[in-house]
Amino acid sequence: MIPFLHPGARLIDGLTGRELAGDALVREIHAAAERMFALPPGLMLSVMPADARSVIRYLAALLSRRPIALLDPGIRGEALLDLVNRFTPAIVAGPPPAAATPDGYRTGSETYWIRAGAPPHHPELGVLLATSGSTGNPKLVRLSRPAVAANARAVAQALGLTPGDLWPTTLSLHYTYGLTTLNAHLAAGGGVLVTGHSLLDREFWELSDSHGATSLAAVPYHFEILARLRFDAADHPKLRMITQAGGRLSEQRIADFARRMAVTGGHLVKMYGMTEAPRMSVLAPERLADKIGSVGTAIPGGALSIDDGEVVYEGPNVMMGYAECGADLARGDDLCGVIRTGDLGHLDDDGFLYLDGRIRRIGKVFGVRVNLDDVERMLAGRGLPVAVVGGDDRLVVWAEGLDRAGCAETARELAAGLRTHPSGIDVRGIGALPLLPTGKIDYRTLENMP
Amino acid sequence: MAHLDRIRAVFRSSLNLAPDAEVDGLAYRAIPQWDSLAHMTLVAALEDEFDIMIDTDDVLDLSSFDKAVALLEKHGVVTAG
Repeated sequence: MIPFLHPGARLIDGLTGRELAGDALVREIHAAAERMFALPPGLMLSVMPADARSVIRYLAALLSRRPIALLDPGIRGEALLDLVNRFTPAIVAGPPPAAATPDGYRTGSETYWIRAGAPPHHPELGVLLATSGSTGNPKLVRLSRPAVAANARAVAQALGLTPGDLWPTTLSLHYTYGLTTLNAHLAAGGGVLVTGHSLLDREFWELSDSHGATSLAAVPYHFEILARLRFDAADHPKLRMITQAGGRLSEQRIADFARRMAVTGGHLVKMYGMTEAPRMSVLAPERLADKIGSVGTAIPGGALSIDDGEVVYEGPNVMMGYAECGADLARGDDLCGVIRTGDLGHLDDDGFLYLDGRIRRIGKVFGVRVNLDDVERMLAGRGLPVAVVGGDDRLVVWAEGLDRAGCAETARELAAGLRTHPSGIDVRGIGALPLLPTGKIDYRTLENMP
Repeated sequence: MAHLDRIRAVFRSSLNLAPDAEVDGLAYRAIPQWDSLAHMTLVAALEDEFDIMIDTDDVLDLSSFDKAVALLEKHGVVTAG
């Protein structure tokens, strides 16, 4: 059986309105797993749009103990091919229609690429997610099936999810926060309304309201959208919760949305997690008022500590390790349940975690993680000295001697390369980049520039 | 027709399109550039350019170039004649 699926869980296909509940959902997953059994063993790469078929395929892979890597539905042909070359998957599900079938693969039904002779994998390997979608050659995070299950149950418990809950897919399902929210609802016996519509589609709100959605999961830019839409909880009487993760949101915005939710007795829940440890902490809504800057306390079964300023998390949902090639799929648990997060933080006397910045050079744009050094390498070919720092949900690129037009042009090109919108990238000219006595770029000074 | 050209210019800059890109007839999410992020930028840019306030229903309804033109007509921005 799927390690975390509650027998009452429901899946609603937003496209057709079809609802699969309880036994009907289980039967559908079993049927998909049986079809999968007929295919050669080994890793499955699955392009993961928000549709019911993709979710059932994912659950069927878990059931049949086949590791599955969930990929951005917008993945480019060459990026997919790079993954195929590095990992030699047995199955590639849902490749872009224009992509040519790679050497060694045959095309099966359901638009699968199939081959025999995939490398062996660890027996507990369950789900693989990319560390960053758009820069360089992403590493894959290896999550064991028990880790995925532990994460789902702990989040369901921390959020107080019940069979009455229903989440419309506001986040991509290849994204750790989206996948966690899906799994937690299925673990609680709740429902997931799978829709490709976004918060900016009228259809999203019509579907959510007609099915009685009880929660939204949002990253910071979603709150800007909701504010722009003059979000009013009273328009959505069943809605009782908005979760927030995926980057820092201003305390003002948090308080604003906590108030908007309180109008109908609902609340806002802050969470903290990363692909390598999908959820680490949750801020209980009754503590939001006095701990508004905190990301909360460790989820059930987890523990947070600070080592030399760095946040360290220990729990059953920590990844086994990374994978860069097919041979890594056979690796065991490299981390033994402990992960150094790369985030700076401190715990207050009540054990609430506050994040103070990053150790590693990682930024976030619209909630998606971007390796800042990769971005600098992307820009290195232009022959200009540049330094990239992370701002609030955006990148700030400092370029020596670049004029206004050059800045706009660079922002546009970089946005295209990273597959994001240029408003998330702030390119600024500077006379000379500040340096440390060692001659290295002084990123701290750049981060604090107004 | 100057207003129509201004709307086109706002579309091109908000959706990060080339200065000569054809935008008449575009629809939300029909091209990868017009995603939810670009939509937010577009709404704000139309408000700035024409000094109007676009309300919630209209943000959700602004799903094509033609609808944007119709919305601006509603706000008294003359686009034809």
